[in-house]
Amino acid sequence: MWEQITALFTVGLFQNTIRNATPVILAALGGLFTEHAGIMNIGMEGMILGGAFVAVVFSFTFASAPMGVLFAVLIGIIIGLFFALFVVKLKSDEFIIGMTLNTFSAGLTVYLLRTVFHQTGSWVSTDIKGLPPIDIPVIKDIPLLGDILSGYSIFVYISWVLVFLVWVFLYRTPYGFWMRASGEHPEALETAGIDPVKMKVLSSVLCGIFCGLSGAHLALGYLNCFAEGMSASRGFIAFACVVFGMANPPKVFGAALLFGFLQALAIRLQSVGIPSDLTEAVPYLATVLMLVYITVRSANKKRNRAKKAMAVQAAEEG
Amino acid sequence: MKFLNKIDKKYVLTLIICIFVALLCGAFIMLATGFNPIEAYATIIEGAIGKPRLLGNTIEKFMTLCLLGLATAIGAKGGLFNVGGEGQLFFGALASTMVGLTLSSLPAPIVILLAFLTAVVVGGFYAWIPAMLKVKLNVSEIITTIMLNTVAIKVVTYLVNGPWVSSSPAVSKGTDYLPDKLAFTKLIAASNLSTGFIFGAILTFLIWYFMKMTTVGLQMKLTGENPRFARFSGLKSDKIMVGSMVASGAICGFVGMTLVYGYNGQMVDTISSDYYFDGMLVAMIMNYNPIGIVIMSVFFAILNTGANMIDMTMGISSQIYDIIFSVLIFLMAANKGFIEWFNQSQAKKKARAIAKEKAGKEGI
Repeated sequence: MWEQITALFTVGLFQNTIRNATPVILAALGGLFTEHAGIMNIGMEGMILGGAFVAVVFSFTFASAPMGVLFAVLIGIIIGLFFALFVVKLKSDEFIIGMTLNTFSAGLTVYLLRTVFHQTGSWVSTDIKGLPPIDIPVIKDIPLLGDILSGYSIFVYISWVLVFLVWVFLYRTPYGFWMRASGEHPEALETAGIDPVKMKVLSSVLCGIFCGLSGAHLALGYLNCFAEGMSASRGFIAFACVVFGMANPPKVFGAALLFGFLQALAIRLQSVGIPSDLTEAVPYLATVLMLVYITVRSANKKRNRAKKAMAVQAAEEG
Repeated sequence: MKFLNKIDKKYVLTLIICIFVALLCGAFIMLATGFNPIEAYATIIEGAIGKPRLLGNTIEKFMTLCLLGLATAIGAKGGLFNVGGEGQLFFGALASTMVGLTLSSLPAPIVILLAFLTAVVVGGFYAWIPAMLKVKLNVSEIITTIMLNTVAIKVVTYLVNGPWVSSSPAVSKGTDYLPDKLAFTKLIAASNLSTGFIFGAILTFLIWYFMKMTTVGLQMKLTGENPRFARFSGLKSDKIMVGSMVASGAICGFVGMTLVYGYNGQMVDTISSDYYFDGMLVAMIMNYNPIGIVIMSVFFAILNTGANMIDMTMGISSQIYDIIFSVLIFLMAANKGFIEWFNQSQAKKKARAIAKEKAGKEGI
């Protein structure tokens, strides 16, 4: 039994963990901005899919991966502005717009794939240039760690750096402060002379960019192809990670890694004879349980704080 | 004709304009990708109502959309967003199939009744979980239902391809076929339309009656609009919220059953391809108004079956349906937002003019 368990933990398991986690990390970091700006962004799924499709189309057209990434970012900005136009400017229901964005993105990408590029199901071509794997100079020579940490596409490393940068942006710059205020106390921000609408639009655009990068990595970082419905609920998982990580960048990063690990484990468990359909369901079930845990815990915290405050007040009043 | 007077004429007019513009957008996309849109729309209409068989498919699609839309509406009116209808539908379909297969020796009406009850209970139970989490622990039902969808679909995929897969070599995938005596009688030969439609129609009427004409429906509406107010006015808002969500899940379970008993005949992991989300979008376009959902479902059922036809005959991917669908929702949302924004800026202008006038008078 013990041998079977240890046999599961191979280098491949950890490599797959990082591969699965990276698109989710990127999207979830984007979702952090909108979450802090007080927008429930359920449309990340569509944003990722749009980014993946555009990345493949332009990588194919120019036979160059960087062009693919560039256009994925551009489409991310456009989708972000589009989302902001409805949710922030026109004050539509963010849930409806998010869901519709997902449907629209799924429909349009498949439509274009089939009618313009005449591919059904998935699009594989040698002209779709992927991002080259990068070896980190010193780390790659360390026996075990080198295999696990080195040799991915550039986005994997970018995503790690971005975790830190997003944290700095949100908690150490005035823009981050204003963005958080635009979600928590838009009136207070307005009084301070900053337009909360602008901060909300900015958050949406940033989210679009990050989701575009996530899509580009998904399409060009590993498999170099586009498949119908490629985002495969990653937008929703990213959303769950934001909730799960309490909108704190390092915690969200941890949540995304956990998800990646569970997905990778599901594939490994298949080799032991545990059906993959069941193991694939585990991360989603885990999200529900974690969400329950977080909600209950934060409610308890609030209650305790209130109790304490009341006790202090009672003591003061004698 | 009192009924007609109640309809919000402005809303209907904007809806018609938005539908027209959405169809134009669809036409533009088809034109841009090298197809003749007029021919495509003609084929859509012909492919939806041109032959009795096709008409039957459209009516069946209409019933599915309409019931799922109403399921969303019931949840939303009660204050909870049921995004998990797809999962409830899958579990309902699977449960009713298994009841049919294991009890096939009993008389058909009894089995169908039992299958119906199982589908409704299972679908309702799967909606009850997120509802209770929301009401008792305040866990967002939107996220939990989305996650539970995937869980349900994965579990069903495992079950129908694993332990409950058909042992018969004639079945390529999924469970055994239900015995013929259990399948609903077809209303139009060779189409998907079966007596399930009659059940569906009765259910639709009941839902409309329940939502519009009963006190429980009104209580639901009050709870959905403002749960706090409802609680303070003495309504058991928690119970109403959970109840409306369970009703929503039960309808989804029933739809799952009609998909199997109505025309599929067995349970497969592809029993529904996001049907619930289509129904949900219809409900959203119509602001959860039951009659509106019924009317809108006709339009989208025609578009949906017709889209399959243009896919087969003209090679236009049937996803054009999704595109037109979502463009319409964007337009409706934009229109609503734009009017509000316009009114607001007008009001601001007026206020500014008055302020100026006042300032001018005081200045003199």
